[in-house]
Amino acid sequence: MKFLKEIHDKQHKALFAKGKPLEKLYPLFEAHDTFLLTPDEVTKGASHVRDGLDLKRMMFTVVIALMPCMLMAMYNTGFQAFTAIEAGALPLNDWQTSFYHFLGWDYDSSSWFGCILFGAIYYLPIYLVTMAVGGMIEGLFAVVRGHEITEGFLVSGALFPLILPATTPLWQVAMGIAFGVIVAKEIFGGVGMNFLNPALAGRAFLFFAYPAQLSGDKVWIAADTTVDGATGATLLGIGALEGMEGILASGFTWMDAFIGTVPGSIGETSVVLCIFGAIVLIVTGVGSWRTMAGCLAGSLVMALILDGVGSDTNPMFDIPFYWHWVLGGFAFAAVFMATDPVSSAFTDKGKLIYGFFIGVLGILIRVINPAYPEGWMLAILFMNMVAPLIDHYIVKANIKRRELRYAEK
Amino acid sequence: MAVLGKEERKVLFDPLFNNNPIALQVLGICSALAVTTQMDKSFIMCIALTAVCGLSSLSVSIIRNYIPSSIRIIVQMCIIASFVIVADQVLQAFAFEISKSLSVFVGLIITNCIVMGRAEGYAMQNPPWASFLDGIGNGLGYSIILMGTALVRELFGAGKIFGHVIFKTVNEGGWYNPNGLMLLAPGAFFIIGFMIWGIRTFKPDQVEMEG
Amino acid sequence: MQKNSIQYIVVFATIVCVACSALVSVTAVSLKDRQDANLLLDKQKKVLSVAGLIGEGSSPTAEEVEAIFSENIDMQVIDVKNGTVAEGADIGNLLAYDQQAVSKTTDGGYDAPKNKAKVARIPNYVVMYTIKDGEGNPAQYVLPVEGMGLWGTMYGFLALDTDGNTIKGLTFYKHKETPGLGAEVDNPSWKAKWPGRLVYGESGSVDIKVIKGAAGSVEEAPYNVDGLSGATLTSNGVTNLFEFWMGEEVFGPLIANLTGEGSNA
Repeated sequence: MKFLKEIHDKQHKALFAKGKPLEKLYPLFEAHDTFLLTPDEVTKGASHVRDGLDLKRMMFTVVIALMPCMLMAMYNTGFQAFTAIEAGALPLNDWQTSFYHFLGWDYDSSSWFGCILFGAIYYLPIYLVTMAVGGMIEGLFAVVRGHEITEGFLVSGALFPLILPATTPLWQVAMGIAFGVIVAKEIFGGVGMNFLNPALAGRAFLFFAYPAQLSGDKVWIAADTTVDGATGATLLGIGALEGMEGILASGFTWMDAFIGTVPGSIGETSVVLCIFGAIVLIVTGVGSWRTMAGCLAGSLVMALILDGVGSDTNPMFDIPFYWHWVLGGFAFAAVFMATDPVSSAFTDKGKLIYGFFIGVLGILIRVINPAYPEGWMLAILFMNMVAPLIDHYIVKANIKRRELRYAEK
Repeated sequence: MAVLGKEERKVLFDPLFNNNPIALQVLGICSALAVTTQMDKSFIMCIALTAVCGLSSLSVSIIRNYIPSSIRIIVQMCIIASFVIVADQVLQAFAFEISKSLSVFVGLIITNCIVMGRAEGYAMQNPPWASFLDGIGNGLGYSIILMGTALVRELFGAGKIFGHVIFKTVNEGGWYNPNGLMLLAPGAFFIIGFMIWGIRTFKPDQVEMEG
Repeated sequence: MQKNSIQYIVVFATIVCVACSALVSVTAVSLKDRQDANLLLDKQKKVLSVAGLIGEGSSPTAEEVEAIFSENIDMQVIDVKNGTVAEGADIGNLLAYDQQAVSKTTDGGYDAPKNKAKVARIPNYVVMYTIKDGEGNPAQYVLPVEGMGLWGTMYGFLALDTDGNTIKGLTFYKHKETPGLGAEVDNPSWKAKWPGRLVYGESGSVDIKVIKGAAGSVEEAPYNVDGLSGATLTSNGVTNLFEFWMGEEVFGPLIANLTGEGSNA
């Protein structure tokens, strides 16, 4: 190990230091160096503009918290596809399904290994494309701008595939993450400077650019559900058209939605695993309980209001809050998306307010807007933009309070 | 370029890149977002705006020494508004289809800050010929950005250029999956943002001072 | 006169105003004929294209449009409530008749009953375009329709066969649907799925429906049309539009008169 380190340090001085031939490529060298070895330089100044927290520790915590969701993502992708096929849908005619078939497994929803294998064939390519494209862009910007590659992307890169439908074409995955990294992050100066959540910005781009592949009722299940007798709609999609009765008649129970064995984006369906993630994030102090509590409170208030108001024409009004919490991506958004420390509010009180309005807006968009059956992506992006303003007023109020306190003395 | 002196050339061509009304001054964004889904639409809009901008600068410049300063803005507005109405009428008579799809945006040239800005900022101090060139030049600067944006939006949003199919879309039996964001106004917003980024990377002097 | 004196300002302002208004009026007056002709031509083109008399994407000259139109098409004013041809009604130039604007006036229309197509006012009169075959007998009826899509009202024309039931064509010339999804209502390949489908079921109710997914050929599913993928609400909007306009509330009496006994059309 020592030998390896010596080579590295020597290379640094000979090739990558200022004025040496490969000076421009220093960021690539550095990433490699700090990842594998303890470098002979230490970080000067805060590595993170708004938060002194060590990025690597944070990254691993989030990835650990996400692990169960990732496993569930694979299992549920297979489980949903096989359940649909058993109900009459046809297997898709794409390379993923062909490959699974080639491996010699059956479309059997009771075989958990088959489900995970099938899901992995869909999920892993999306994950790899995200990592490769996003990583490449990060590297490119690091080289051009001469700063270091940070690990922040590993979190965005882990989150992004989980909020896509399993059938998203890979070229769209590449475009989405490229947009997310460039427009939401690099333009504003890279990790720690972005005011939008890159994973969500990437998804928003795909949602508006390629709505046919990102919404509707054909994309959520990796099987052809357009044939008779099969349905591919998410519970929310059903709810938007037929309300609570439709959801209850669909054969899925509240428990199914809680556990996560329902159609939806790859990794967002399981509420129980999101709760596990929330516990990990809160205990380690990486994710803010205030933001999550705010989301919960905001959605509760808004769902109660809408339920009370009622509507003759829009059946979504009647969905009670405890269903809202298990439908769609609420839990995943509140736990993993809203809590992103860079794009969320920074002050403690600010986090509560920020979370609360995410809850309010998310439910509002979900219920009232006819074009967007799910609201968390837009709600969080919107509140990302407002977060600095919230902080500004919290800080100002704080200063004022202190001034008054001093004035009394 | 015997017709134009050095100074005149500068007035005419500076607004194209060095002092572009959209990219540097960030004026006239509203119509740039609204009319750039198709190239023929933007083309007509560019002609209308360039004509209005040139003619109104010319007229304002001709009477600049007679305009009482207390009512100069309203006089400029009056002149610009008249030319805009004329432009709108001409389009309705000779390019009906496109005028229909441009709808209110021809009328909204009146509120386009570029036209007003050139009348007040340049034509009020300069002789007619130079003012006319300045108006045309700024109109062209606007047009370059508009046509560039429209090219990207129409090509990637619908697979066409000037209505001619370049990429055949999936819905029509081809291979190209059109990018829906390009057809929405925010798409133009991103494209113009990228253009400004590009221009400022090559001309760093255009970057505003911070603070 | 002093340049900043009140008198000078008033005189100057007056001169500028007069000059500007002269410029504007001269243009407006001299171009008026052309503009009016354009408006009428536009309407003629829309009617011809829904009736299939000019092809998709072709651009005939004004004279050609005029010729095809006058040769093949009769216009009649229809009294919507009775469903009869209103011979005496004076609504000006039939081509220039703006049904939406007129229906909003107290004399021009009446409040629509609550309907899923979210149409607020029904005009007293509409213009029906009768397309004639080679011998001059009616071959198709073209009627104006409108209804709420996802983002706004969709305006269009419906062409019906003389049986008052078989659809010959449906086009939307104005809508605000999402590009790439709902906006596919004006995609030629989707419009091509309409001819041959039937509006009324055997019991006489409006049965035509835009369904989810693929409907199949005209023979397999005469009352269903493929849904627009990813645009359920726009699809439903089209269904609602048929239910309203072709139902008893609006064109029901007219269709009965056109096809039934003692037809006076």
